[in-house]
Amino acid sequence: MIQRETTVGRTMSKRGAEGILILGFIGIGLTLGLALLKAPSVSINAFESPDAQRIFYWHVPAAWAAFIAFGFLFVGSAMWFFKRSNLGWRMHVAGAEAGLATGLITVWSGMVWGAAEWGVPWDWTDVRLNTFGLLTFLALFLVLGRQSQPDGVETRDTFSTFGLYGFVLVPVTYVATRLWQIRHPGPVVGGGDGGSLAGEMAIILLIGAISFTVFIIGHILMSMRITSLEQRLERIQKSMDKV
Amino acid sequence: MTDALLNLNSVTVRRGMKTVLSNLNLQVSSGQVILFNGKNGEGKSTIIEASAGLIPLEVGSVHHHGELLIDESGKGGKPVHPFGLTLQADGCMGSQRIEEHLHNTMDITGSRIEMDSILERYNLKHRKHDLIAQLSGGQRRKVAMIAGVLPGFVSTKPRLIFLDEPDSGLDQASRTSLIEDIHYLRQKGHAILISSHNKEFEKCATHQYNIDGMVEIDQESTPEIVRDEMPQQPSKGVIALRNGVVCNNRTMSTLAYNGIAGFLTLGILLALVDTTKLDTGTIQKSGLILSSAFAAGLVGDSMVQMLHEHRSLAWWKAHKQGIPSSYIHGSILGFALTLLTQLAMDLPISWELTIIGSILTTSTMFIVRMFDLTSARLARPRAAFTRILTPTLILPFALLVQWVTDSNLI
Repeated sequence: MIQRETTVGRTMSKRGAEGILILGFIGIGLTLGLALLKAPSVSINAFESPDAQRIFYWHVPAAWAAFIAFGFLFVGSAMWFFKRSNLGWRMHVAGAEAGLATGLITVWSGMVWGAAEWGVPWDWTDVRLNTFGLLTFLALFLVLGRQSQPDGVETRDTFSTFGLYGFVLVPVTYVATRLWQIRHPGPVVGGGDGGSLAGEMAIILLIGAISFTVFIIGHILMSMRITSLEQRLERIQKSMDKV
Repeated sequence: MTDALLNLNSVTVRRGMKTVLSNLNLQVSSGQVILFNGKNGEGKSTIIEASAGLIPLEVGSVHHHGELLIDESGKGGKPVHPFGLTLQADGCMGSQRIEEHLHNTMDITGSRIEMDSILERYNLKHRKHDLIAQLSGGQRRKVAMIAGVLPGFVSTKPRLIFLDEPDSGLDQASRTSLIEDIHYLRQKGHAILISSHNKEFEKCATHQYNIDGMVEIDQESTPEIVRDEMPQQPSKGVIALRNGVVCNNRTMSTLAYNGIAGFLTLGILLALVDTTKLDTGTIQKSGLILSSAFAAGLVGDSMVQMLHEHRSLAWWKAHKQGIPSSYIHGSILGFALTLLTQLAMDLPISWELTIIGSILTTSTMFIVRMFDLTSARLARPRAAFTRILTPTLILPFALLVQWVTDSNLI
């Protein structure tokens, strides 16, 4: 009976993660639809390319979700490094993968907007742009690097170290537009006077933020489950090696 | 604790996903020779490497001569009394001469002796000036083994000597000489740890250690070996820096490795950009002048590649005397590339900018080297894609170029 309940519980938790991920996907799609079809147009005096601004309803929530993922990565890295927690390692792996996915969405959408508004997709002297790009590169390094190594304390220690150091970039990226306002737009929410949104724009952005948050939670849960299954498979294979 | 030369206190070590040593306590005193002769995978090499401070500890601490070498939090210091170390993978670079590697060992120990008599015993005297890369596997093993026992010959005070499979690939005559040398070093009061399956070492071991525990071996009847004391000569300092310069001079690796990237960048930029149309004081012009120096640094430090040979990096790390680098050659290369770029662009030479180019190559090389060294503990360090992290250097480079432009250095 206990065995059956555990199996049912696992199946429900697996389906729960899948459900959250699918819900997040639907929300992300809805945000894109609302951004393109419903969001009000911005002033043609304020932007070179006003229509391109619609991509921000994706760009900003994706960046928000990426910060959540990088937070997971940092907490997971610290939990593994200082406490040798297997849960911490799974959080590290999940945070890196989710950070890579949302980081790439942020970078790609930002480049599309930059090409339309600035005339160039990338500006090497813009600090936020570059620090965010570097966070995405760090996530890429952690994902590809981990896949190239056998699992073990050496692998986990090394990549956790990079995860811990890399997190320094998160607060730098967050405050970058306040400290070095070169070309990157300042904060749209909580940025003080003149930077806030109102009305329909804020609602669509909120839907985007909630959707990406749901997506990132689903992604992290799925990823942690996959890592857990990989570890289980390895334990079974090792026990079969001894027979 | 202070009486023992080596103390392993409740040491637990994990390698891969396996706990190889669990709560190991071991004390080794002056004049003891401990032979680890357990089965494969029982942790013989792990004990040697943990004792030398090479492996991070999950739990416990390692003390040498009563002083902390490493503990579970990674704290520790330089060994107060440097030790001898022979790694299973030799730990010597192919680009070094035999005498250079042995001089390094002696310089770390604190003084030099004439090494010819020792080399002669192992039939290596005629090869003294040869590169280690030119030796056979067995000869290279002899060099690694001699480097391990040499601190015992040099030091008049008891030292720790760690020998991991020292007999592997050695001929019978060399094995006999090694056993005699171990007898001699034990009688001088040194403490020696040997990992080997070879039963011949029971002739010189005072203790045998395996999974069942420690067993004492009687060596009372061994006759005393008398040898003339070797005259001591002063050692030479800056060991890591010296080795970096010597290896770079010999192999020209910085020129081949970093220089080619710098020259190619310069050539491509000069071919694609009409430099006469770039206004002085623009970010493009400053960036172009510094690009080749930056590209040269991005390649990393060629010494790290050489140090991966036969786990030489682990040997240097264990002794904590610094790790050879290419910084001097890197700074010269950066200086030359920035100067050449200005000449090729027909600009008046800015010496400030040329020095900035030199510092740029060295600092970029330093950071990429840090990425490489951080990932050196991985099972497959060269497959870790550390170069993905090099874009982290583009922002500082862009800010430097902006500063150079604003400062009117061109």
